[in-house]
Amino acid sequence: MDVYSGWKQPSWMVDSKRMRMTLNLPWLLSALTLLHLTIQAHSLKRGAAQDLKCTTKNMHVWDCTWSASAGVSPGTVKEVCIKDRLNSCHRLESTNIKIAALSPGDHEVTINYLNGFQNKFTLNEKDVSLIPDTPESLNLSADFSTSTLHLRWNDRGSAFPYPSNATWEIKVLQNPSMEPVKLVSFNTTLSGQDIVHHWNWTSDLPLQCAPHSVGIRWYIDHHRFSGYKVWSDWSLLKNISWTPNSETNVFPQDKVILAGSDITFCCVSQTKVLSGQIGRTFCPLIHLYGENVAIRIQNISVSENSGTNVVFTTEDNVYGTVVFAGYPPDVPQKLNCETHDFKEIICSWNPGRPTGLVGPRNTDYTLSESISGKSVAFKRFETLTNESYRLAFQMLPGQEIHNFTLTGRNPLGHAESAIFINITERVVPHVPVSLRVKDINSTVVALSWHLPGNFAKINLLCQVQICKASSEQEVRNATIKGAEGSSYLVAVDKLNPYTLYTFRVRCSTETFWKWSKWSNEKRHLTMEAIPSRGPDTWREWSSDGKNLIIYWKPLPINEANGKILSYNVSCSSNEETQSLSEILDPQHKAEIQLEKNDYIISVVAKNSAGSSPPSKIASMEIPNDDILVEQAVGMGKRIFLSWHPDPNMTCDYVIKWCNSSRSEPCLMDWIKVPSNSTETIIESDQFQPGVRYNFYLYGCTNQGYQLLRSIIGYIEELAPIVAPNFTVEDTSADSILVKWEDIPVEELRGFLRGYLFYFQKGERDTPKTRTFETGHSDIKLKNITDISQKTLRIADLQGKTSYHLVLRAYTHGGLGPEKSMFVVTKENSVGLIIAILIPVAVAVIVGVVTSILCYRKREWIKETFYPDIPNPENCKALQFQKSICEGSSALKTLEMNPCTPNNVEVLESRSIVPKIEDTEIISPVAERPGECSEADPENHVVVSYCPPIIEEEISNPAADEAGGTSQVVYIDVQSMYQPQAKPEEEQGIDPGVVAGYKPQMRLPINSAVEDTTAEDEADKTAGYRPQANVNTWNLVSPDSPRSTDSNSEIVSFGSPCSINSRQFLIPPKDEDSPKSNGGGWSFTNFFQNKPND
Amino acid sequence: MSQREGSLEDPQADSSISFLPHLEAKIRQTHNLARLLTKYAEQLLEEYVQQQGDPFGMPGFSPPRLSLAGLSGPSPSHAGLPLSERLRLDAAALGALPALLDAVRRHQAELNPRSPRLQRSLEEAARQARALGAAVETVLAALGSAARGPGPEHSATTALSTANSAASIFSAKVLGLQVCGLYGEWVNRTEGDLSQLVHGGVA
Repeated sequence: MDVYSGWKQPSWMVDSKRMRMTLNLPWLLSALTLLHLTIQAHSLKRGAAQDLKCTTKNMHVWDCTWSASAGVSPGTVKEVCIKDRLNSCHRLESTNIKIAALSPGDHEVTINYLNGFQNKFTLNEKDVSLIPDTPESLNLSADFSTSTLHLRWNDRGSAFPYPSNATWEIKVLQNPSMEPVKLVSFNTTLSGQDIVHHWNWTSDLPLQCAPHSVGIRWYIDHHRFSGYKVWSDWSLLKNISWTPNSETNVFPQDKVILAGSDITFCCVSQTKVLSGQIGRTFCPLIHLYGENVAIRIQNISVSENSGTNVVFTTEDNVYGTVVFAGYPPDVPQKLNCETHDFKEIICSWNPGRPTGLVGPRNTDYTLSESISGKSVAFKRFETLTNESYRLAFQMLPGQEIHNFTLTGRNPLGHAESAIFINITERVVPHVPVSLRVKDINSTVVALSWHLPGNFAKINLLCQVQICKASSEQEVRNATIKGAEGSSYLVAVDKLNPYTLYTFRVRCSTETFWKWSKWSNEKRHLTMEAIPSRGPDTWREWSSDGKNLIIYWKPLPINEANGKILSYNVSCSSNEETQSLSEILDPQHKAEIQLEKNDYIISVVAKNSAGSSPPSKIASMEIPNDDILVEQAVGMGKRIFLSWHPDPNMTCDYVIKWCNSSRSEPCLMDWIKVPSNSTETIIESDQFQPGVRYNFYLYGCTNQGYQLLRSIIGYIEELAPIVAPNFTVEDTSADSILVKWEDIPVEELRGFLRGYLFYFQKGERDTPKTRTFETGHSDIKLKNITDISQKTLRIADLQGKTSYHLVLRAYTHGGLGPEKSMFVVTKENSVGLIIAILIPVAVAVIVGVVTSILCYRKREWIKETFYPDIPNPENCKALQFQKSICEGSSALKTLEMNPCTPNNVEVLESRSIVPKIEDTEIISPVAERPGECSEADPENHVVVSYCPPIIEEEISNPAADEAGGTSQVVYIDVQSMYQPQAKPEEEQGIDPGVVAGYKPQMRLPINSAVEDTTAEDEADKTAGYRPQANVNTWNLVSPDSPRSTDSNSEIVSFGSPCSINSRQFLIPPKDEDSPKSNGGGWSFTNFFQNKPND
Repeated sequence: MSQREGSLEDPQADSSISFLPHLEAKIRQTHNLARLLTKYAEQLLEEYVQQQGDPFGMPGFSPPRLSLAGLSGPSPSHAGLPLSERLRLDAAALGALPALLDAVRRHQAELNPRSPRLQRSLEEAARQARALGAAVETVLAALGSAARGPGPEHSATTALSTANSAASIFSAKVLGLQVCGLYGEWVNRTEGDLSQLVHGGVA
């Protein structure tokens, strides 16, 4: 028990790194302590062996060692015996022994010493440690371009029981640090043979940047070995280092990496590196060892086509590399394989996301077919857009099922897409070529085309598109048995004769996949056929009724069935048949001289295929006396006509129309309407607005056509373009009779709806009457809606007055132009007579009354107007020298003898009384003082009055007298006021200064007071003054209306006289023939409005 | 016929030389071609730099010149040489440039396959350099000074092909930049030399 315990103790001491991890650690520590103390006690007592330790490298042999007990030398060992084993004792003289592996379980081991000492141990496999030999690397290599290390070693598996599991651990060291930059473990299985293993590792840092070292160790786990599994020792480090050259200093070179990944670039340099940059971005430098540096790029973006430049700058040089960042190929999308001809299969796909890599780094595609085992590579081409790629795969005869796999590959990876197809269901035929059309008959053609490809095993489904010139389209399907490289033929029927068609073809297969493209178009004109019916025919008799004119319309193309070459026209009656010679197209009219008998006209159209059925019409109409002319108005270029159904009309209706202004026959056109119709719309490009057309509705019976209705109409009414021509038939003092004429139909341009008649006072060329303003109160308007009315009497007019008359016609299209006229009504004679007689009668009565009054008051008148004149001879003061006045009894001067006259009357023979209105002669002197001496004495009797002269004469009377000259002063009646105003003032200021004679003429200025004052002043002055009281002066002419106007400011003198002289200057003969200067009135003035006239 | 001083062969010995009108026209024509190619060379360099990515074309980026066997840039001492010698050097350089430009074009075709314009420009530059070199040689021959013959082109081509195959893409880019630069420099130098010839400034 003790020995046993003593053997056990070393086994617990084997290695602290044992892999028995199932023990409870506290319990284990306590047990160890207890056992150790027990063994120490026994050893000391017996001198027993200590620290028995067994290991194995291959589980076949155990290598046990122990240390001798104190006091026992190692060479004194005699033998070691193992119980339960044959030949169990082994002689030896050392403290270690190699024994074959023991079976599981405890085995008693006895060590006998020469000195008789004996130790006993219990040995169990569980206490043995399995420590494999240190692995040896066969080879360590490096791929600098990929920064990959390749390690190769032998597992020496033949030395171990198999299968055994081997666990390997590899460490990678990177200078200068000795810490592993990579430590990786992995398992292998020992198969009883020596196996060489490989391990690859790619470094983040390019291998060129720093030396790398690799070490390896392992341990083995076998299921039947229950001992401890212990790591082997590390192998010797294998080193990899790069020999720098002068050309390349930056790593990695030209690397292709995944966009978005991280990458480290390093620069191997002997000199100091100043900067590192990628593109234009500078990066912080990571110092490696020596002058070598690195930069770390994270999340690198997709490169340009030429790559991304990485540049390191040293003091004397620039080093760089290019990196291509992109993506691996995307999964090919929309992979589709189809055939056009059963000779090759065209596969197309979309590459998906761009890889960002071009040139040699672009994606290479390979199309593989798994059934045939064939593959084809895609020839790379550079595309700027994400367009589809295409690849042709040559078909193998007889193979219909295909399993395609498309693989895209670039330096960053690969992707693939697969498709499984039956090629007979994926057929897109080529475009049909060589399309030809061949006539079979006028309605059937044969269509042929060539379709390249081998379609022998399938049926083709083809479509023929048929287009008429009128853009009408039709598509017909045709199923055709396929053939190899053959032409195909189909018949296309139900076509129209003599019609231009456009054909084109496309094909697919019965198991429809896709249509081919349409072939080129082929135009074809079908053959002609005989016209399907006769031309539409009408007839008219000539105006003289001797000829029958036959009209027919050209057949529409769909009924002509060809080009109409000519027409045959014939007339037949019961007695004879008359045929005209062939009438060539495009003449559509013929004239036959016929009696007005019943004939049947027959018209036949001919083309190259034959003649049409005849079109017949009777020459005579069925008379109808009950025809009313109606009116109709259309819209645009259409006119609507309707009629009541007539059961007698069995054939059809015919509506013909013509321009009403044309002479007969005026056929413009006609249409036929089915007999069951009761309305139609007539439309023609020939219709014009404002033109009157006649429409005739005929009904067709078996006997012929009968006129049913006659309609005149307009497509659109317009306003008349002329005014009605009107005249004045009669004029009186208060009325005018107007008469007008009809407007011609061509100028009416619509149905006449009435007339508008305006009139107002006015004379020609006066602005007021040139135009009629709407709403003017003076204008009188008469709307004449009775279009049959052709006269109009205008009453209640004023006599001898000019009137402006205007007449306009109107239709629904509007008012026509106006026609105007000026008419003066006759004078009213009764009124004129009255107007003359009444003034005459009044004048006579007034004259008579005046005469009577004058006769009865003649004394008073005499006293008033013609007082007795005192005899001047009785006055000494007025006695003139006899020599002067002799011989002229008319001249009477005052004799300056002292006398006292009773009264002085001065008579003026040429009294001029200017009218008050005649301002021109009121004061000519005042207006033109310089011309006073040139005044015509006949017209202006007192124009010579010049106040300054008066002044001078007054101021220097002595000089005048001394000279013995006489000064004649004419005093203007009208200008007497102003000139005298100043002398009056002057006199008033200093009357005493003025001495000598002064004429005593003070013209009254309306005021008697002034006159009195003047007389008073005059009394103060010395000398003679004529004793004329102008207030008492009167006009000599009794006719003058002013003569009795005592308040008038205009005062007339009698004869002008020299103040100095004593004679009258005007001969006395004028006294007997006084002239009235317009101041009187005459009988003619009685009717005059203007007095001046 | 105009009289000019100096001789290309021996300007010191013969002070007067007469140019035939057609020779003068040829010189002017060649000079005009060189002047035109100077602008083209600038455009080529601009376009080349643009297609290489940053930092090519950035200010301050000036990689050192790689050695091209058989062709180097015009040396500073070029101006001191006699005109005939200068023209011989010009012709020789222009004779070597087409092969280099072709090599650059091939490399760019792989590197920038989506830039056909650059490839066209490089192709035209090679053709134009060849034409200008031939024209200069013709002028030299007319002046009685033979060119050195086809020597540098082959060696330059070989050198560049070797460099292209072994060098990295970055080196090839730099090499292309250098070739485009050399093309401009030599065309410019040729234009200057011809200008002297045209204006009678014979050294």
